[in-house]
Amino acid sequence: MATESIKYVTPDSDTKIETKAFPRPGQHTKGIVNWLTTIDHKKIGIMYGVAALFFLIIGGIEALLIRSQLWDHNMDVLTNRQYNQMFTMHGTTMVFLVIMPLSAAFFNFIMPLQIGARDVAFPRMNTLSLWCFIAGGITLNLSWFFTGGSPAIGWFGYAPLTDTRFAEVLGDMGPDFWIFSLQILGLASLLASFNFITTIINMRAPGMTMMRLPVFTWMTLIVSFLIILAFPAITIALVELMFDRTYGTNFYDFLEGGKPHLWQHLFWIFGHPEVYILILPAMGIVSEIIPVFSRKPLFGYGLIIFSGAIIGFMGFAVWSHHMFTTGMGIVATSAFSILTMLIAIPTGIKIFNWIGTMWGGRIRFETPMLFALGFITMFMVGGFTGIMHSSVPIDAQHQDSYFVVAHFHYVLIGGALFGLFAGFYFWLPKLSGKMLNEKLGKFVFTLMFIGFNLTFFPMHYLGMIGQPRRTHSYNEGHGFETWNQIATIGAFILGVGIAIGVYQFVTAAFNKKLKPAGKNPWDARTLEWTLSSPVKEYNFARTPIIKSRDQAWENNYGPKENHSDKEPLDDHGVHMPDRSWYPLVTALGIFGLVLGMLFHQSVDLNTGEIIRDYTYAIAGGVVAIIGIIMWSIEGPAGYHLFPKESEE
Amino acid sequence: MSEASAHALDHHEPVTSTGIHNKKVLMWAFLGSDCMFFGTLISTHLIYRKISATVGGNFLDIRDVFDIELTSFSTFILLASSLFMALAVSAIHKGNLTSTRWMLFGTIIFGAIFLACQVYEFTHFVHAPGNELTLSSYRGEPHVFGSTFYVLTGTHGTHVAIGVFWLLGWLAYSFTGKMSTADAMDVECCGLYWHFVDIVWIIIFPVIYLMEYAF
Amino acid sequence: MKKLLTKIFSLSVKILPVLLIAVSGCSRIDHKQSALDPKGLVSQNQYDIFMLSVWITIFLFCAVGGCLLYVLWKYRAKSPEEAMEVPAQSHGNSKVEISLILASTVILVILAIPTLQGVVLMNRLPDPNDSQALEKYDLNKSAIEDAITVNVTGKRFFWVFEYPQFGIVTANELVFPASKAVRVNLRTEDVIHSFWLPKLAGKMDLMPGQENFLWFVADQNKILTKKDSEGKTIKVSLNEAMPSVYDGQMRERIFAKQKFTDEFEAVGGLFYGQCAEYCGNSHAYMSFRALAQSDDDFDSWVKSFQNAQNPNKQPSEYNPEKEYSKGSVVSFPDNSLGESNSREYRAAVKINKGQAPNLTKKGWEKAHSDDYEMGKQLFASLQCVQCHAINRTGLGSKGPNLTLFGIRTSLAAGWMRNDEENLSQWLKNSNEVKFGNLMWNGEGVDDDHPLRNLEDDDVKVNQLVAYLLGLK
Repeated sequence: MATESIKYVTPDSDTKIETKAFPRPGQHTKGIVNWLTTIDHKKIGIMYGVAALFFLIIGGIEALLIRSQLWDHNMDVLTNRQYNQMFTMHGTTMVFLVIMPLSAAFFNFIMPLQIGARDVAFPRMNTLSLWCFIAGGITLNLSWFFTGGSPAIGWFGYAPLTDTRFAEVLGDMGPDFWIFSLQILGLASLLASFNFITTIINMRAPGMTMMRLPVFTWMTLIVSFLIILAFPAITIALVELMFDRTYGTNFYDFLEGGKPHLWQHLFWIFGHPEVYILILPAMGIVSEIIPVFSRKPLFGYGLIIFSGAIIGFMGFAVWSHHMFTTGMGIVATSAFSILTMLIAIPTGIKIFNWIGTMWGGRIRFETPMLFALGFITMFMVGGFTGIMHSSVPIDAQHQDSYFVVAHFHYVLIGGALFGLFAGFYFWLPKLSGKMLNEKLGKFVFTLMFIGFNLTFFPMHYLGMIGQPRRTHSYNEGHGFETWNQIATIGAFILGVGIAIGVYQFVTAAFNKKLKPAGKNPWDARTLEWTLSSPVKEYNFARTPIIKSRDQAWENNYGPKENHSDKEPLDDHGVHMPDRSWYPLVTALGIFGLVLGMLFHQSVDLNTGEIIRDYTYAIAGGVVAIIGIIMWSIEGPAGYHLFPKESEE
Repeated sequence: MSEASAHALDHHEPVTSTGIHNKKVLMWAFLGSDCMFFGTLISTHLIYRKISATVGGNFLDIRDVFDIELTSFSTFILLASSLFMALAVSAIHKGNLTSTRWMLFGTIIFGAIFLACQVYEFTHFVHAPGNELTLSSYRGEPHVFGSTFYVLTGTHGTHVAIGVFWLLGWLAYSFTGKMSTADAMDVECCGLYWHFVDIVWIIIFPVIYLMEYAF
Repeated sequence: MKKLLTKIFSLSVKILPVLLIAVSGCSRIDHKQSALDPKGLVSQNQYDIFMLSVWITIFLFCAVGGCLLYVLWKYRAKSPEEAMEVPAQSHGNSKVEISLILASTVILVILAIPTLQGVVLMNRLPDPNDSQALEKYDLNKSAIEDAITVNVTGKRFFWVFEYPQFGIVTANELVFPASKAVRVNLRTEDVIHSFWLPKLAGKMDLMPGQENFLWFVADQNKILTKKDSEGKTIKVSLNEAMPSVYDGQMRERIFAKQKFTDEFEAVGGLFYGQCAEYCGNSHAYMSFRALAQSDDDFDSWVKSFQNAQNPNKQPSEYNPEKEYSKGSVVSFPDNSLGESNSREYRAAVKINKGQAPNLTKKGWEKAHSDDYEMGKQLFASLQCVQCHAINRTGLGSKGPNLTLFGIRTSLAAGWMRNDEENLSQWLKNSNEVKFGNLMWNGEGVDDDHPLRNLEDDDVKVNQLVAYLLGLK
């Protein structure tokens, strides 16, 4: 390691404001404290990734239990309530605790490197969003241990099933855990998105104009905007639901004047952009990988960016296509039907352009490329069934059948997860400094591809012959058995594939047998590949001056005038902000606030009256506020590094 | 060595791609998001306004419980506080600490008056004899108006309260002697927030209150 | 070797889905609940648009996928040296891009037009005076004009079917005339459900606080044909395809011709439906059936229901001042059934005024078996009546209406066949059959409830079964 040659300038004590309770960890902090207090976007990205992979395993186990229950008619692996809890937790986990944070892991790790920044705009806020995400994940899974167990309301939580009036277990707390965990997770996503938006708009290296940004960074920006505009809708919907459940308001209570329809609208105004929040990062990753392994620049860069933005924008105008069967009337259903069809056009453009990129290239079939190609084909299948659903009469048969299950798994596994796995195989060498085992990677791809299609392709057929979704059991005599068995076998193959993949990613950093990666093992195109692998904590020793779009490629193959420059050395060195405890303290405070709110209600056994005790909630809130105050008092502070030019 | 550490402390102003300070971009992004929060709440109210217009067959007249004079007064107060806020930002840009302090103080007082009016209004509505408007009922009948009304105006009130605490933080900071034009950006962000909360009220006031007198 | 592998991978990307389409194409598609076997105008329309979209997407998949395969094959790096070559760095071609955008727009328009027409058809019955529309859809004017209305109320976890035109209520089995359109008004009393009748109508949600609408009309020609074992279409007689429901023939025919586990229905007039919106614990068990009838059979069914649910037509107590025609039913006090209970008797011959109720003579005979009468008493004494209405329209009652239960083909919201064995199993421990059902788990049912203590009481169960299945 080259750390010895770095000239350290200031002793820790000079640069920080001391507080006795939480001394600010200095520059040389090691071990667990280093990880708990880090504000380095790369470490945060890694923690996001590891936590999300952990939840991927949990959500996967839930999925396998679901598939086992459906092996044959009238199976008894799970009771119906357990099954309903499983699909609720599986959906919520996979959407909020796996795919979104995996995307966030890549946003965190890759995006600042791609724009030539040393960190995100607000490093401590970034840490806070990480800890909020983890607190949200813990809150959701804590629900297993309390009254009623996990929520059994579906990941969509349609009112009035969430109303206490229709609870199937007395004092069911599942929906409360669900509400509060989604609120914290929403907070985490919002904070991260504000941060990414500011970073991409404001922290680009000189010369990195918006139209020179790598596509992945563009997708980060679009997704961040989607998050900040879409999450408020569900936050408010959840607030209203929380008031309904806890304080007896009537937002969704149809017996007292409310409208269950309102929940569906608010949920899907969030929920449909959420679909693009899940898929656009994967599209960004694939748009990075295909040019690299075709050795050609992206075909129609401008159009790909523009269509990404259009998809994001139109994502807000099509939410009601989730509600075609709720009786919205002819005009509304027709309008949303046509708008939904229109969204197929920008999506199609992306696929055309990926093929156009490969046209005339020199295509190498290495693991990331295989996953990217898997993404394209399976996303195509998912997209095509999506076009079918956009047609109201077709949707009248498909809605809530296994056809829909097949459709969105083609988009979210075949699409999003394959894209993210492609990203892992592509960027892990940059992260760990070692090449992953190519053979094992291809084996994982084979297992996942075969398992995935075995699982979900038959579901199209199952849906068409009448199997409704979210049913824990089916009757004999419908002809569902054979194809469900094939799907279950496929699910286990897929599960093994994912498990091996996760094992490969997690051990990548420790496996001594792996070959070192070097700066640019794939001969890739974007700025992060000009840095050493693993990347140094300061990213860029000197800020690069960008001259063209695919800077790493241009530096190697482009004309001289396109080669990047570097800002001149100054005597400041590299300013590194200090680590901080306060994001963790604040997140713990919020966690306490949430737990306090969850358990504030109890029933007086003598009088039967509801007792409200806000002590713990207030205590948590106070901790969070103290965290924020101390945070603003301590300031970013920091120390300086003076790396040599060769050490980036 | 000491020189380097001095740099470390005043290294707060990074050059940005757009020339706009990071914090300002962050605040604008947050306000954009906050628009959606209030948009959702206001549209919820608008959707329910007509649906819940009858109670047990009788047309609901929420005017019986509203106190439009008081609300108009508090609206005026909140708008006036925006003027103070603007003056405070202008003063800190000019480095006039005394003026900043007074203007911040004015903003806080007016914000607090607004909050007091709201607290008075809420307690008054809940206990209005014969016209009790609670979270779940109006005149003892199950009703949605109270739900949307209290949650919407309550969310706005929470925003004002956060703003007041934030301003109090600045006021306290102004007495430490460390406040300077270097903090102008941060005060300005606080001001953006305050103005936004005002603008939201300018929308809420006609939509929640005045509309009941018009349609 | 390595390259061969990669080739196989990339090929499998394409081949696998195609293979699966082929495999699923081989198997039959007329399963009981299959949307691929439409038997009515609305579902046929939905199916046609679906097939249009399938052909469009297969075309697109082959075109785009073939293009992708071609590119992958043509431009693959054949050697490590080639992999390091630098091809021409072209950035795009706006002509190609614009023409692709236009092409995809055209394809979407092809799908959009029938979609919009379909939306209108789903939501509105054609105008009976618009002869063009009727011709287009091959409908009789009377099919629309004499359409029947069914008010569907969803409850956790069963269905209430009310016929407002006839003033009758039934549950879980929707009987309708095959020649008439059926307007379905959908309501719910608790959470959201969804009425899904794949072969006839697609689906529509039951939203709390709102009434939704859906309609369907069966295609008699399709009901009256079936495929034989060689896949040839053959005609079926009316009586065989749509046995009459009111006299229990439908039930007998289904039980005789078809095992419950058969994947394909033997009787053309029997349709399966299911709740499609997650509604709680037993959502999976919330299915229903729709039974098509010829006009005459439907009228008879309505009549028998109207008679059963008309309070004025319930057997009255014997009145010596009255004359009774042969076959009339009258109740007499009968202490063998318990104190102050009565039993129904049928007049075997014409009974003259004042002809005393001498039961020993052949004048009166017992209308029902002893088990039936005991079961009837039990039905009241075991608190069944608190939730189930029999011979009343009791729309607001908690459980399904059990009027004329003996002619129902299914039990427990379509979950099992309505025969003695299943019914006694159901009565003994319904939770074992249908975990989470509200008869076992509903409000006010605890371990002391008589319903939960029938498990070892074969006598009582048999009497209840005799009573319920005797309701014809």
